Amino acid sequence: MFRQLSARFGGPLAVAILTLLGIWLIVMVTLPQLQMIEYSLKPNLLPAQIGGPEDRLTIANYATLFNNDIHRSIFFKTLWSSVLVTVLTLIVSYPLAWYLAKVATPRQAALCILLLIIPFWINEILRTYSWFIILAFRGPLNEVLMMLGLIDRPIRFLNGDAGVMVGMVYAYILFMVFPVYNAIESLDDNQVRAARDLGAGTVRTHRRIVIPHAKPGIATGCIMTFMLAAGSYAVPALLGSPGSRWFTQIIYNWFFEGGNWNQGAAYAFLLLVLCIGFMSLVMKIFKVGLGDIAK
Amino acid sequence: MDGSVRLDEVVMRFGDFTAIEKTSLTIGSGEFFSFLGPSGCGKTTLLNIVSGFLVPSQGQVFIGEEPVAGVPVNRRPTAMIFQNLALFPLMTVFENIEFGLEVRGVGKKQRRETSERLLALVALEGSGPKQVTELSGGQKQRVAIARALAVEPRVLLLDEPLSALDLKLRQHMRAELKTIQRKTGITFIYITHDQGEALTMSDRVAVMSAGRIQQVADPMTLYRSPATGFVAAFVGENNRLESRLVDREGQRVRLDAGALGELAGSAGEDVSLGNGDRVALYVRPEHLKPVAADAAGPRLEGEIEAVHFEGASVMLETRLTASGEKLRVQLGHEVSRQYADSLTVGQRMTFGYDPADAVVLPDDGSAVVDETTGEMVDSRTAAGGAHVSSA
Repeated sequence: MFRQLSARFGGPLAVAILTLLGIWLIVMVTLPQLQMIEYSLKPNLLPAQIGGPEDRLTIANYATLFNNDIHRSIFFKTLWSSVLVTVLTLIVSYPLAWYLAKVATPRQAALCILLLIIPFWINEILRTYSWFIILAFRGPLNEVLMMLGLIDRPIRFLNGDAGVMVGMVYAYILFMVFPVYNAIESLDDNQVRAARDLGAGTVRTHRRIVIPHAKPGIATGCIMTFMLAAGSYAVPALLGSPGSRWFTQIIYNWFFEGGNWNQGAAYAFLLLVLCIGFMSLVMKIFKVGLGDIAK
Repeated sequence: MDGSVRLDEVVMRFGDFTAIEKTSLTIGSGEFFSFLGPSGCGKTTLLNIVSGFLVPSQGQVFIGEEPVAGVPVNRRPTAMIFQNLALFPLMTVFENIEFGLEVRGVGKKQRRETSERLLALVALEGSGPKQVTELSGGQKQRVAIARALAVEPRVLLLDEPLSALDLKLRQHMRAELKTIQRKTGITFIYITHDQGEALTMSDRVAVMSAGRIQQVADPMTLYRSPATGFVAAFVGENNRLESRLVDREGQRVRLDAGALGELAGSAGEDVSLGNGDRVALYVRPEHLKPVAADAAGPRLEGEIEAVHFEGASVMLETRLTASGEKLRVQLGHEVSRQYADSLTVGQRMTFGYDPADAVVLPDDGSAVVDETTGEMVDSRTAAGGAHVSSA
């Protein structure tokens, strides 16, 4: 790597780039993570007890999760809901990405992308609050549905997971649309034409030609969306009901309300393991390597 | 199975631009039919209309005497071979060929039998399990043909499929395509800007320019009796000399070429010309022969400006002494050896030709060859394209 970099940028600059990269990876990613792992393997002690006989390695913090039914169920619910968010986001994003990549004129595509991006100029908390207003019991969505005569009485969208789902699909749609769009865009139009010409209908053309081609993009989008969803705090905190708590909220509570960083670190580490596990699983299912995703 | 294709007053417009002027044409079942023309002449548009990718602005398309308006691409009895082949890169050769059959719900065993048979037809036995990315250019070409034939189309549409191959392979594939067409009896509609391809393979050729069909004829007629100036200049090489008609006797025509004096040529009986009309005389380079300065018959005297040895023949670039126009002369092996001493730059020579070989057409000014690139200029303002309707 050094030789390539120095061939392109010269020795000193190559050293500088690699040093910065090293500092970033070690100081800002690896070390804090290692410290969290260390925290997670130690009991929560008073400052006076640190270094004393009770300060030894233990897996008690991890055991907590498996002994606490509520936390465990929230852990798996977070996993399951994040998968659901990912699938929903893909279902919403794929037709959009297809439209942008292959159907829209350049002008339409530019306009559409602009419309997609504009809301993201606003802070995530505010965007989520606006969904809170839209989905409220006496909010505009219920009003409109009632006016159209589709429902007789307002629906409690914010009860249960529906609000969280809507909020998250909306919050992460760009992370799905763009990788899928990029992947579809690189597909030769003649591939689609050839499939049609050989008799394939719309569904088969997508299933056999477009989706296999777009697989790396779909995998990238799914992984990003899943990670963001599983690690999300603001959306479930604002749009979730007490019954739809997210695992991140429990981690937050351990850190900032329970004051038990060791316990929080163990939970956070488990969430990280979960995300890495999911990522490997998705990559296996889609038969893509890390190299495909980095493209 | 009727694989005839009939275009009935088809017009294609994109906004203000008319890509296809009103065109009527019938292609017989089992015919190898080519559309030949420079890029932008509308030939690919016509192909897309037959395949269903484009809906004509006006007119009707019939395949096997049945109108196909409203029939979508995936339900037409046509199959297309794309210019870039568009093989599915993530599939094996087998999967590529069987794709169309899979769509039609053909069972796995029967699919494999069909693809094996087609692989044998295109001389690719045993390549079925390979990934298409492992194949060479010529092999990909064959897979594309097999894939299109697998769906048993009545009409096979070929969009310049040989343009990506090198010369040797291209010549080989020409022969192979013709053989496959004869074996299968399927109507082939072939799009090309390469006259060599069109002339060697086709039963009939339609020469197109500026959205119009200029002439539909078998290759020999096209070459010997071009119907328009465009065809005369585009198919093969031709020297164009402007002149006026003096008189006409059957096909034999006498011309007054101004500074060049009296010339002669022949005009088809269906070409209407009046005495004194402006006409263009087309003399092919290979029809010109060195003659004595006082020989009988039409004579052209020129000064040699360049001599190109082309292997089987020698091409001379000369400038006519009387008018300063360019004249290209192609001398065969025998003749060039006989005159070997005279074929030097600066030498003056007199050339003659048999008036029966020289075509006289009304001077429509449409055939213009770009001096710098040597390419045909397909000017949309060109007039005089014959409206061709052949049954």
